[in-house]
Amino acid sequence: MTIQYLEYIKKEFGSQVLEEKRSHNEIYITVRKEAVVKICDFLYHHFDAPLISIFATDDRKKTGCFGIHYVFSGKEDAFIIIRINIDEKDPKFTSVTHKIPAANWYEREIQDMFGLTPKGHPDPRRLMNFEDWADGAHPLRKDFDINTKPPRVKGEYVYRRVEGEGVYEIPVGPVHAGVIEPGHFRFSVAGEPILNLEIRHFYTHKGVEKLFENMSIDKAVFLAERISGDNSVAHVVAFCQAVEKINGINVPLRAKYIRTILMELERLYNHTGDIAGIATDVAFAFGAAHANKLKEQLLQLNEYVTGSRLLRGMNAVGGVRRDIVDKRERILKELSLFRIEFRELMELLFDSPSVSDRIETTGRIYNDIAAGLHVVGPVARASGIDRDVRREHPYAAYHELEFKVPVYKAGDVLARTQVRADEVYESISIIEQALSHLPDSDIKAGVTEIKDGCAFGYTEAPRGETIYWVDISNNRIERCKVRDPSFCNWLAIEYAVLDNIVPDFPIINKSLGLSYSGNDM
Amino acid sequence: MFKILIKTLKTGRQTTKYPEKPDIPSAGFRGKTELAAEKCTYCGKCVSACPANVIRQNEENGEKTLTVSYCGCIFCGRCEEVCPNGAIKLTQEYELASKTKEDLLAGIRRNS
Repeated sequence: MTIQYLEYIKKEFGSQVLEEKRSHNEIYITVRKEAVVKICDFLYHHFDAPLISIFATDDRKKTGCFGIHYVFSGKEDAFIIIRINIDEKDPKFTSVTHKIPAANWYEREIQDMFGLTPKGHPDPRRLMNFEDWADGAHPLRKDFDINTKPPRVKGEYVYRRVEGEGVYEIPVGPVHAGVIEPGHFRFSVAGEPILNLEIRHFYTHKGVEKLFENMSIDKAVFLAERISGDNSVAHVVAFCQAVEKINGINVPLRAKYIRTILMELERLYNHTGDIAGIATDVAFAFGAAHANKLKEQLLQLNEYVTGSRLLRGMNAVGGVRRDIVDKRERILKELSLFRIEFRELMELLFDSPSVSDRIETTGRIYNDIAAGLHVVGPVARASGIDRDVRREHPYAAYHELEFKVPVYKAGDVLARTQVRADEVYESISIIEQALSHLPDSDIKAGVTEIKDGCAFGYTEAPRGETIYWVDISNNRIERCKVRDPSFCNWLAIEYAVLDNIVPDFPIINKSLGLSYSGNDM
Repeated sequence: MFKILIKTLKTGRQTTKYPEKPDIPSAGFRGKTELAAEKCTYCGKCVSACPANVIRQNEENGEKTLTVSYCGCIFCGRCEEVCPNGAIKLTQEYELASKTKEDLLAGIRRNS
């Protein structure tokens, strides 16, 4: 399929294509800078290929230029990467945000991290470098030393304003009542209904992508595992798969099955925890207590299976570090009990008028908004987007297992709860299938030498697709771009709350299940 | 309403008597790292493998020291994996809270 995309692009834009490179299911097409908007628009609108990431690289030592990669997810497991080169002397590129709204934050991220300006961007404010960050300090440029402490300067961040009679602003955060991470929410309200919400994040930017630079592969595995605490497995597997792809490592089938089991265990406890949170936020204390009890049982099961409640320390490049050989019976037994209790709980939850009153029609994300922003995961599937990386770009053992991808159309809190509930049953079924067909083989392939090269690794985390692009040179990470699902989904909250009342904000927020840490890397 | 009541009664109390009754972690749990002075050869493999850089090795006036700080330890078990002599092991111990950073430092030494 990759070849077909290339042929179409060549037929349409022949003279604009400078270079092409194919490896596995990825095709890198370098094009002239001037043509990039047209080509991206062609892929996006003509082929319905969603834009799943944009990232820059500092290749000045190799080619004398910066590179920008636009990543599209094509049909039949193809990734199309449109690449442009940007000269240091003319650090600008044309923004595609007005054609593809999902490009918004990526382009602003590149502006802050690399100092490359997206011309014509509808919102050219800084995103990650705050106003006290000095001009011209761009952390992901290779000549920016990791220990640099730029001087703090004075500056101001201008919020969008809604004005009119009786319109008030409610600033919330960055410090919140619960022990959660920082984020600012600026509501404009007329009475209780929300007229506008503007979010501001990145208060605790950790520079993870800078940390990855020059790190050895075996250490980087653990950094990836700790980017987003409750999506550890999804992140580490995505990273390992990218490295394995570069090196052509054949991961033993048994390891692939174990990874699949771990990823579904992760989905189970996350979804159960999210449902507990939704019950808490509609003051259904009984449901919250029971869902939290079930989540705790799952965490204890995780500890039994892997030694870690958050399933950490299991994955490595080449496979997994521990076998689950004698644990099959207990996993199956506990999950079948869990299924009965979970079903009971969901029946009580959905039958309770005090719950359905609060979650039906609340926090709607319409299908066109979800598609435009490239919202991912359960949130997208609750808004009618039938997409799941496990099916679109199969990895680990998913192509050998049967599962359904639940899709709802309403786009409200109820639909998001239903998607998660349905996915819980699917996850249990996937684990059962994987355990009953667990192949006999090694659990880890020997890795003798790490080759240079670049590739994508991807997983469907509980929150949605997680994409890694890893570039290795001389046994070290040259660049590791991490795209967490929350980076796509945060902006959807600005739309979800419109026409809702302020007291429904917490429940809408919870139903989106967003991560601060995964977003704010 | 009745369904909720029945479910509540059926579930009963779920909390445990911790800390009076100790909570023992699963067999594969990775907790506090322990060093065995008699087995360690100070080869430095754990030092270079540690992703959190919390294992340090020093040599001063002919005395070799190896320290582990639990402050930054992520309990990944790489040190245990790479040690050729079984001198470093992750135990089941997890109650590591302490008031000073010094309390979170463990070390072994040897005069050569």
